[in-house]
Amino acid sequence: MSNYEQLAKKVVQRAKKKGAQQAEAFLEVGRQSSVRVREGQVEDLTEATSKGVGVRVIVKDRLGFAFTSDFTPSGLDRVADLAVQLAEAAAPNKLNGLPTRNELGKSVDPGPLFDPKVAGLAGDWKIRAALEAEKAGRDEDARVATFDSVSAGDFVTEVYLASSEGMTGSHSGTYVYIVAVPVASEAGQLQTGYWLDYKRFLDDLESPESIGREAARRAVRMLGARQVKTQQVPVLFDPLVAASFVGNLATAADGNAVHQKASVLASLKGKRLAGSHVTLVDDGLLARGLATTPFDGEGVPTRRTPILDQGVLTHFLYDAFTARKAKARTTGNAARGYNALPGIGTTNLYLEPGQRAPEELIREVDQGLYVTALLGHGADPVSGDLSAGATGLWIHKGELTHPVQEVTVAGNLLQMLTDLDAVASDLQFRGGPVGAPTVRFRQLTVSGA
Amino acid sequence: MPRASAPPRRARPSQLAPLATRQPAPAPLLPSGLLERLLAEAMARGGDFAEVYVERTSTTAVVLEESRIRSAQVGLVQGVGVRVIAGAKVGYAYSDDWDEPALVRAARTAAMIAQGGGAERAFPVHRAPVPSHYRVATPLEDVAVALKTKLLTRADRAARGFDSRIQQVNATYVDQTRRIAVANTNGHYCEDTQDLCRLAVHVVALGKGNERRTGMYGGGGRVPFTHWDLHPPEEVAREAARQAVATLGAVDCAAGPQTVVLAPGWSGILLHEAVGHGLEADFIRKGTSLFAGKLGEKVASELVTVIDDGTVASARGSINVDDEGTPAERKVLIEKGVLKGYLYDSLNAKLMGQRSTGSGRRETFKSMPLPRMTNTFLAPGDHAPEDILGEVKRGLYCATFGGGQVDISNGNFVFEVSEAYQIEDGKLGRPVKNAILVGVGPEALKNVTRVGCDPRPDPGMGVCVKDGQMLPVGVGLPTVRIDNVTVGGTRVG
Repeated sequence: MSNYEQLAKKVVQRAKKKGAQQAEAFLEVGRQSSVRVREGQVEDLTEATSKGVGVRVIVKDRLGFAFTSDFTPSGLDRVADLAVQLAEAAAPNKLNGLPTRNELGKSVDPGPLFDPKVAGLAGDWKIRAALEAEKAGRDEDARVATFDSVSAGDFVTEVYLASSEGMTGSHSGTYVYIVAVPVASEAGQLQTGYWLDYKRFLDDLESPESIGREAARRAVRMLGARQVKTQQVPVLFDPLVAASFVGNLATAADGNAVHQKASVLASLKGKRLAGSHVTLVDDGLLARGLATTPFDGEGVPTRRTPILDQGVLTHFLYDAFTARKAKARTTGNAARGYNALPGIGTTNLYLEPGQRAPEELIREVDQGLYVTALLGHGADPVSGDLSAGATGLWIHKGELTHPVQEVTVAGNLLQMLTDLDAVASDLQFRGGPVGAPTVRFRQLTVSGA
Repeated sequence: MPRASAPPRRARPSQLAPLATRQPAPAPLLPSGLLERLLAEAMARGGDFAEVYVERTSTTAVVLEESRIRSAQVGLVQGVGVRVIAGAKVGYAYSDDWDEPALVRAARTAAMIAQGGGAERAFPVHRAPVPSHYRVATPLEDVAVALKTKLLTRADRAARGFDSRIQQVNATYVDQTRRIAVANTNGHYCEDTQDLCRLAVHVVALGKGNERRTGMYGGGGRVPFTHWDLHPPEEVAREAARQAVATLGAVDCAAGPQTVVLAPGWSGILLHEAVGHGLEADFIRKGTSLFAGKLGEKVASELVTVIDDGTVASARGSINVDDEGTPAERKVLIEKGVLKGYLYDSLNAKLMGQRSTGSGRRETFKSMPLPRMTNTFLAPGDHAPEDILGEVKRGLYCATFGGGQVDISNGNFVFEVSEAYQIEDGKLGRPVKNAILVGVGPEALKNVTRVGCDPRPDPGMGVCVKDGQMLPVGVGLPTVRIDNVTVGGTRVG
């Protein structure tokens, strides 16, 4: 058993000794390293280690929580004692409690999460990768004037969890990324591009050259962007933008928002909301997924949960506390860092891909907007209303034509689901654990001139 | 992409600030002998400049939902960041271990950026006095959690009592007592204690036909806990409830260009997005901002004077010194429409041959400082607010806002309006839903045609995010009219 696992158990024992009926320690340790380059030179290098432990206790139906990054023996004793003191001062709630032995159950092997190649990656590799991405971006087009940043990095995290309800466990994982943000310039207009890749395994990572080139293409193609007039037209979201739409849907499927009736989806469970080509899944066990772990932030095994199954709203997402409150079952969606209590969050969230290439979806549109970036917070999960700034490319007779900026798109999540008439085959997890393919909406309002 | 926003609707775990345990405050944070040793280690390979940043932040967070205290938590985060500059290159390392070997390791790691073999030198530091723009006699970390909890139960009762249609109330109180120390190889050493608190109330009102509208309001600042005696939590709660109820029955927003009138106060978020970020020196130096190279040029209507002021007494965005130890300033960024200056941290200032404006801020010791805003205001004009509204035949009155975001390069910004009304013949008409303003920074500011005589700061709830670093900021604005603004909505024609 590792030192950290023992440390987590010791904190639990201390809290029990001080009067906690139940106690849980969530401990994180990490190290990270990153590099940024600019004009062929290293701009900065960062290396660091970090750690922390959060202690959750239940004293006579009262909840207490405290955290610290101080791992000295006295620091650890203090955090356990503090959690108990806070609980003693809190109001009782019968629903308080850690996940039961039953809920903790036995986790499934999620497959490999740790890549020794990433853990052992030399600093030089990151410098070289960032420089290559920058050079490829410059070589791609002379209109690439500068870069906001080009960076590469990796990190390693370890999580240890101990609960008085019969669980100790740990997992560790690796992450590696390259990000390029070039700025293209022409006729006094500046346009930023953005492309990246972020993976657990080095062999899954897109090459630095291809990241640099794609970032440059995305910046350059926006040069000459202009407003279009206000109209209602078919609208496509590229995979990055579609991922943010998918994230908005999942926010509305948060079991706590649903229980509080603060979600547009609250009363719609079991209802058909979209065509059978729309399946939205949260999968904590997705092979090689960025958010894949054997158990969630409170030790409950992760799993695959379809939110929309062939267009029908089938599941909401829960942690143990909310599930108890809502008389539902936890879906293993307790998300947290050491410095916060568990709350409901998604794991690997994605819209299942369809059969057709994105070009085919574009070809069927006479006049419309292909959106490549949204500005703003996205949809309001309570009302479902979406109104956001948009940039993208205009579709004219089935072809992408001139770039568009300074417009907005507006709609409502429920209407958008009804109008979601096609899903392409290009599912991507681009820079995070939320993935989507290109999607098309029959009609949205585009505001402009 | 930088964005500013109101408090998150539901604080996400990673955003819920660290927290607070009560310990006797050790003064100083680190002994000056150790700071000097770390500076010497950091310079051992021949860097040009080194800095040691020490932070100890204790936070308390209390959450109320469904009329019960869901949780109260306290926590402590402490650590040290070491930065070494060699030419235009920067090495950075941090550690959350306080023990000397771990700190020396961090200093040596940061030193690796320099390639030379510097001679062994001593870097004595002298503690400099800091100004005092906020006075909190009893640190917030020393205030009993039970008192903080009470603010929320009072807010809950007030919001529910405001109107029977208030269906759900979520309230959070977060405070922190943040102590920082900065020492550098110029011999400068200073410390500051930055207390900060915020109460935020979110409500959902239920109207006919299952219509649900939300209201959100907050308050606080770098203030002692007695602030809440003068500004009771009930005021914050009732304002949140008022917004939610007022927007029930809202009609679809007309899409397309309109004349817009902004209510005073929190609307200052427009300045923050439309110009503020674009004037931060890192974007200027890299040439990625559309304001680069435009000093002395007219970038806004002559009615527009924009000021960033880190010295406003007790304001949320104020700082005595920035996170590089430079005292905060009041800086005129745009004067009568002409671009006058940028916001500099020390690194970008040095690379650009300028001086720091005290704008180098960082979220925690885990990040390097970036040029950032503090409190950003539009100076008042001559127009009476009722005349500004009275002159508009048809338009949109924007009363409160969700947040905003900007693309620095093309200047596109959005500004999410959470409470808006149609203006008909100079009077407020029906509420409209789902409105958003979109524009290009300088063009929008050239279309400012009225500036009111009623300046107002926001109530103390702004959070600005840049490069993933979240910071407290303030904004402020008098009543303002802007012509020909593109309004996003669902209704066409």
